[in-house]
Amino acid sequence: MAEDQELLPVDPQSGKPIPRTKQPGYYPRYSTLSQKKFWDATTRKLIEERVANIPPIRFFTQAELPLITAVTSRVLPQDDRLAEYRIPIVPWIDHRLFENEIDGYRFEDMPDDREAYRLGLQAIEQTAHAMYAKLFVELEPLDQDAVLKTIHDGEKRAAHEIWSRMSVDRFWHLLVQDCVSAYYSHPWAWDEIGYGGPAYPRAYTRLENGLPEPWEVDEQRYEWQAPASSLSGAYDQQAGATDKPVHGQGGTH
Amino acid sequence: MELAPLAPVIERIRDGRFQRSLALVTAGSSLVSGLEVAYEHYKGSYSNLIMYTPVLLSGAVTAASTSAIFSRRAAETWMRWTCAITLLDGVIGFGFHIRGICRKPGGWSIPITNLIMGPPVFAPLLFGTAAYLGFMASYLRREEDSRIAILQKKPARGWRREIHEGRFQKHLAAVAAIWTVLSGLEAWYSHYKSRFRIWAQWTPVLLTPIQFGACVAAIFSENAARKFLPATSTLAMIDGAVGFGYHVRGIARRPGGKKTWLYNILYGPPIFAPLLFAACGALGLLASVLRREKRG
Amino acid sequence: MKEPLFGAFRQARSDVHNLGPLQRIAKGTKQYRDDEEVDYVIVGLGSAGGVLLQRLAKAGFKVVGIEAGPFWDTELDWVSDEKGSHKLYWNDLRITGGTDPLSLGENNSGKGVGGGSVHWAAFAPRFHPSDFRVYTEDGVGADWPISYDELKPYYELLEREIPVAGPAYFPWGDPHGYPYGPHPLGAVGDVLVKGCTKLGIRVCAGGPVAILSGSHGNRPHCIYRGFCIQGCKVGAKASTLITHVPEAIRYGAEVRELSMVSRVSMRNRDRVNGVFYFDREGREHFQKAKAVIVSGYAIETPRLLLNSACPGHEHGLSNGSGTLGRYLMAQAGNVVLGRFADLIRMYKAPPAHALSEEFYETDPRRGFARGFAIQTVAPLPIAFAKQMMAAKGAWGWGMRRVLMDYNHWATLGVLGEILPWEDNRVEIANEKDQFGIPVAKVTFNLHENDKKMIAFGVKKVTEIMRAAGAEEVVQESRYAHLVGACRMGSDPRDSVVDKFGRTHEIANLFVCDGSILPTQGSANPGLTIQALAARTADYLISQGERIFTSDRRDMTTPPIRYSLAVEDSFTKGVPRFV
Repeated sequence: MAEDQELLPVDPQSGKPIPRTKQPGYYPRYSTLSQKKFWDATTRKLIEERVANIPPIRFFTQAELPLITAVTSRVLPQDDRLAEYRIPIVPWIDHRLFENEIDGYRFEDMPDDREAYRLGLQAIEQTAHAMYAKLFVELEPLDQDAVLKTIHDGEKRAAHEIWSRMSVDRFWHLLVQDCVSAYYSHPWAWDEIGYGGPAYPRAYTRLENGLPEPWEVDEQRYEWQAPASSLSGAYDQQAGATDKPVHGQGGTH
Repeated sequence: MELAPLAPVIERIRDGRFQRSLALVTAGSSLVSGLEVAYEHYKGSYSNLIMYTPVLLSGAVTAASTSAIFSRRAAETWMRWTCAITLLDGVIGFGFHIRGICRKPGGWSIPITNLIMGPPVFAPLLFGTAAYLGFMASYLRREEDSRIAILQKKPARGWRREIHEGRFQKHLAAVAAIWTVLSGLEAWYSHYKSRFRIWAQWTPVLLTPIQFGACVAAIFSENAARKFLPATSTLAMIDGAVGFGYHVRGIARRPGGKKTWLYNILYGPPIFAPLLFAACGALGLLASVLRREKRG
Repeated sequence: MKEPLFGAFRQARSDVHNLGPLQRIAKGTKQYRDDEEVDYVIVGLGSAGGVLLQRLAKAGFKVVGIEAGPFWDTELDWVSDEKGSHKLYWNDLRITGGTDPLSLGENNSGKGVGGGSVHWAAFAPRFHPSDFRVYTEDGVGADWPISYDELKPYYELLEREIPVAGPAYFPWGDPHGYPYGPHPLGAVGDVLVKGCTKLGIRVCAGGPVAILSGSHGNRPHCIYRGFCIQGCKVGAKASTLITHVPEAIRYGAEVRELSMVSRVSMRNRDRVNGVFYFDREGREHFQKAKAVIVSGYAIETPRLLLNSACPGHEHGLSNGSGTLGRYLMAQAGNVVLGRFADLIRMYKAPPAHALSEEFYETDPRRGFARGFAIQTVAPLPIAFAKQMMAAKGAWGWGMRRVLMDYNHWATLGVLGEILPWEDNRVEIANEKDQFGIPVAKVTFNLHENDKKMIAFGVKKVTEIMRAAGAEEVVQESRYAHLVGACRMGSDPRDSVVDKFGRTHEIANLFVCDGSILPTQGSANPGLTIQALAARTADYLISQGERIFTSDRRDMTTPPIRYSLAVEDSFTKGVPRFV
């Protein structure tokens, strides 16, 4: 159990782990789903299905599944959430790859997304082996982060053959973007960050000054630190970012 | 109350001899409502040709009531008819604003959102205030007329005669009551939109039932009309004036401040809205000094 | 209120084709047989294709618009959700490379009737007069074969048709006013206005955007929900899907959805006679036509012309000069993100609602040619998370933390003019798509002038963000829009089409979309593309049958046909004083 506690974010004042909750974040009791009757029927159906129907695993092999699960739970950790309120990530990545849904392009220094995942997972495993002589899934969380951080930083500690066929930075972006797409498309994540969710036919009346709508709630901030068992709490620019501009694929203008 | 210096004025009002003054008030308030509707409809982009009508009619009412200051004939013809048409336009506009809310996504299923974000539903009726005053003025006597109404050429009977003689206290109190409710509702939902962030935003909402109560009481009791109504009406007028100050301040404090003043007037707190609330007070005050209808 | 007054909102009608909540048309459209020769086939019904379809149909031509994507029903197909809107974008494979590879798909390419205008943020500024003579003024880029004055009446017309909301006086370029009033600001617009006014930079609040600030017939006005680039279910944001296509159908045009054109067919060396396309089941068809207009945007248009190579046109259609596919442009779209102590909640209000063009023109003191605009942007959570990955290297707990602060961030975009360079191009790759058609390969490299402009632009926007009170400012490099690659010009040796969009080598083959732009300015290209389409339509209509029969090129400027504007364009909106 003590080991389990290490996974939790910490209250910097008391130094104690913050207990798991159904809904972390600064907007307690805020629920976008409670507003679903105000959404149009097409959107409501989509979101309800997103929450209720988690796609089966069809792309990743039984051998790959524990590894991709371990990787995504470090790339987008949810240890602060009660187990039944964690947002599925691997099923959505699997769904996309199985259906071969792509974003409309492939970088010339990348294989296709399916191949990229297969190779990327092998590279992670090889890096774990080179650094700790263990399987990635057997590593302590902190060591798992250390392995992932080398990829985040664009370092090629191992798997040189794979990285000669695929850009390490772009693989990292692919992985992170898939994780955030799965997580932040879920209404529980919207509740966590205080985002309004679907807004049609009813939209917003209070556009300025960050005012909440009548059904939204005020922010109630609390301090927290990333768990001691993690390396992802700090921000640092990727090493590759300076010579190879990094950009997300979301459209803005 | 010691109103001795005002006695001649009050006497004239009580006799219904204030056509020219009321025509002046009409001209002024019509100008202000015309400006307001011009920029409010600009926000709505004049996307329907009918949106020009209140703007044009405001101009017509201003012109007619200005000429009514100088001419009895203009008062009884021009001013009367432009004001009547403008009142009708307000009612038509009310219909269009209701339709506008119907046609917003969600329509009346989400009334609060669409009242706040759709066309301001009561605004066309409130816009009619100036025209209403002008219409009433057209039946009044002029300041220079003799006190003794019987000597003047006057309508034979009915409401025309009562207005002519300044006997329409109950009527005006009723109108003021309705106007107060409409204006108070507008204040409520617009201040709700900005979440009542300043306590003063509650004051028109709180004053509305008080002023409404006083107006209703004035319909049934002359005593209330003479004693309560002036007090609550004065409060409403003060509140409107204070609100005007707050709205000006709100505009000045918007991002960009003076450098984007035109935009800030457009999208800051509606600058004339508090004056509309004050106008409800003014109506009440006027009602309080009038004579009561003979009938009933 | 716990729920809407009359219970949860019900499904919209499915027996009609919904184009917004109020506008409905009959399902299905008139079908021409494949072997029936139509006057015009338009390949791609986006910003340009939609306008052309409406104009040509209204003028009485038999016209078919062939669109690779679906004919959207906005009520039944679209959702008010970021991830669920993925289908609006061009998601088929393309290869992207070069030193600074472009993101495609969601970032700049639409699929379906309306094309990119379905998911543009709807900023609709005009180009400046200087944009039409960049080479003459700055010695870089290219001159246009037309001047601003030739396009101006079309700008004015399209601003009424779609219509564009903005201030009564827009001070930059050729100063002008807008037919619809400006929009209220959201908190991001407030940040831009605050920052700019503090630094003495002129700023324009509430537009110009092609989003309704007042209702427009059966299109309700904006409800400020912030889902512009996910497709506007409200119908307040203009897209040709709802502005031009319904009228085109009323005048007899056919919209052939889910049909992917694979090549343009040549009757002989000098004339085309139709297009080959695959239907939704993958069956190949041939649609016979007297003339073909390609409106596939900056990647698919050159791809189609390159893929149509045939004897006599070995390097692609109208590519004798080797210019086809070259001079592709994207605008620098760096996003500057600022964290504020106060709440912002940037998901409210349209992402596009305030801008400044103060740095649009060349200023020799800056050390680079041309300039940039500054605009509001407002990513929804997934896009924001991706930006944070790029801007801060966020992942893991850091990602969770910064997203918990989503409501404290405001974002402003640089929109900078990257010059047309010969090495930025579209070619054909070895890979093929689901129909077996070779896909496009896009190569993009930044040059010295571009890099200087971007650095300056980011610095300037960072200053504005700081002046508005941001505590932390970071930036993400990215690109926005795609134009060029089929550029127009008067000299066939260095351009693909003439000033009316007619290809230099084939008299009845036209190109009309963003790909014909010789330079791109720092203005979002949507309005310019539509204005060019209306102008090309006027040319085709005034040429009449000669397009179908004669190889002679009449270069006289056609009269502008106001009668072809979308119905009700002149009975709505504010009179224009400037």
